[in-house]
Amino acid sequence: MDDLYREVIIEHYKNPSYRGKLDPHDISFADNNPLCGDHVQIDLRVDLSGTVTDARFDGHGCAISQASADLLIESIIGKPLEEVKKLNKASVLEMLGIDLGPVRLKCALLSLKVLKAGVYGLGEAGDDLVE
Amino acid sequence: MIKEVKLRSFRPNSLPHKFEAGTPAIAEAVGFGAAVDYLSAIGMDMIAAHEHEITEYALERLEEIPGVKLFGPSADKKGGVAAFTLDGVHPHDVAQILDQDGIAVRAGHHCAQPLHEKFGIPATSRASFYLYNTRDEVDLLVNGIYKVKEMFG
Repeated sequence: MDDLYREVIIEHYKNPSYRGKLDPHDISFADNNPLCGDHVQIDLRVDLSGTVTDARFDGHGCAISQASADLLIESIIGKPLEEVKKLNKASVLEMLGIDLGPVRLKCALLSLKVLKAGVYGLGEAGDDLVE
Repeated sequence: MIKEVKLRSFRPNSLPHKFEAGTPAIAEAVGFGAAVDYLSAIGMDMIAAHEHEITEYALERLEEIPGVKLFGPSADKKGGVAAFTLDGVHPHDVAQILDQDGIAVRAGHHCAQPLHEKFGIPATSRASFYLYNTRDEVDLLVNGIYKVKEMFG
């Protein structure tokens, strides 16, 4: 279980590389985890070919939620939106390199939910986005 | 429970019996009786004194930890609880790491979200103490918080 707080997670939590906001941006979406109050906002810039040219996240929450947001943003810069849409639960867990129980899984997947709701232009971020 | 059942209709019993279907809570009532006997044998005043003393000790020890901020009144004005935050670490992470050492605390709003908003904090971690808790266990909690600080240090 100590693996949950691997050095990489604590490092991304304490010193995130992509925390902030983008103004102007092409896509922006925010949501929170009602169970624990974790909050994540994601801003994207996308070029005409549909490639993510820049991205940032902002918000607050536990180490798992904030580190996974930072890792997620890192992984999508330079990627086409079509590839971003294919990201799922397994992609996030692979980035984190840990196995999570159902409660902490929600923390880890919050940023992906927010990202995909933004990319698809949805009104809300549903759990079905990260199956 | 039912008063009468026909092939195509039924009449429920009068209140409150219509909401008392199935086996009544017999085991629960017996268990409650055993709990009352147990607590009465120790003495509620003894329990209150122990709870007060251990909470006072816990608040003292927690207060010594740099970065820990306690919430709530002094031990003489509350039950056996100690809600706190630790600088730089989210309360859920504190709880999770303590859990790895077998220390169960609650993290979250504790059914008081507006109060947390008033204090400008996302949540608190909350240890609670009762009859069966010891000073040694408070020391384990304190050591556990130092471990959290080390991990996030």
